[in-house]
Amino acid sequence: MILLKFCLILIMVNALTIGGGFVMIPLLQKEFVEKYHWLTNQEFLDAIAVGQITPGPLTVMNAFIGYKISGILGSILAMISSYLPSLIITTIVVRNYYTYKESLFVNTSFKGIKPAVVGLLIAVALSLGKSALVDYVTLGIAITSFILIAFTKIDPTFVIIGAGVLGAFFYR
Amino acid sequence: MDKSRNISLKNIFLVFLKIGTFAFGGVYSMLTFFEKELVEKHKWITHEEFVESVALGQMTPGPPIINTGICIGYKLRKIKGALVAILGQAFTGTLLAIILAIFYIKTRDNVLLGSILKGVGSAVVGLLLSIIYKMARGTIKDYKAALFAMAAFIALAIFKLNPITIIFIAGFAGFLIFGRKSK
Repeated sequence: MILLKFCLILIMVNALTIGGGFVMIPLLQKEFVEKYHWLTNQEFLDAIAVGQITPGPLTVMNAFIGYKISGILGSILAMISSYLPSLIITTIVVRNYYTYKESLFVNTSFKGIKPAVVGLLIAVALSLGKSALVDYVTLGIAITSFILIAFTKIDPTFVIIGAGVLGAFFYR
Repeated sequence: MDKSRNISLKNIFLVFLKIGTFAFGGVYSMLTFFEKELVEKHKWITHEEFVESVALGQMTPGPPIINTGICIGYKLRKIKGALVAILGQAFTGTLLAIILAIFYIKTRDNVLLGSILKGVGSAVVGLLLSIIYKMARGTIKDYKAALFAMAAFIALAIFKLNPITIIFIAGFAGFLIFGRKSK
């Protein structure tokens, strides 16, 4: 039953979010952490880290979460549920590319959704920040990571690995 | 475009497997990798088709990079090509995520892992902030967009509305507000 719910959430979230893996973060955090308590905020952050340091799209974080919920089967179903909406919708759109591109409804609703997603992400970053940033060291790591990723060309993978090393060093 | 290109499913899988395995560091590195492999090296698609696929990937729901792959796979071998493109792209990442999850659950009470994850979690918060910063620069260009962002923030942070509902409302409001003007 949990597994079915988990898959339905992933299908819905992936069918509704446009413009990048990070757009799904607020939706998944709400469902997985706040509503169903399958993960803690800390575990959710760990899942994002896994999605980021592994090659391929961020969505593989769902395989990590799926494993935590019900093992290998959970991982596999997570990936199927994440990509099924893409497969169906994108193949339909490929055939009608120009009609879709010029569609007034699609274009104008994106104009509302895109900035709204920024607002949602800010709210989620604050809530995750409250769980993760507990002292000056964690706050310092977060600020440094922000500066490195936003203003330099350093690969976020290295920033995350570096932060792990710092964590091991400071919290021995 | 519709004349059949004789590319075997196995070759499509292998190229996408390579893209999904060696393109670290998010969407942009993957895109450069895509272009090198598919346009320059294998010449399966033209530069224009590639650009169109990237644009389409960003306009459709789900992970853009996967959608771009679906689009290219579909152009090459219809639905089977699309399916194989997904499998190839997601294979390595999924496998690694499962391995990490097994390790994560087994060593959960390990003190060292706890310390490492404390650092990692903080970095992810910084990562999210930088994503927000980049997204905001690209999308919030006038006061109307700023209002949409603020309204969504308040709806989630204070009124605890479901983000799915918020996205629906934002989409509909966008249609009502921007749709009327452009007509």
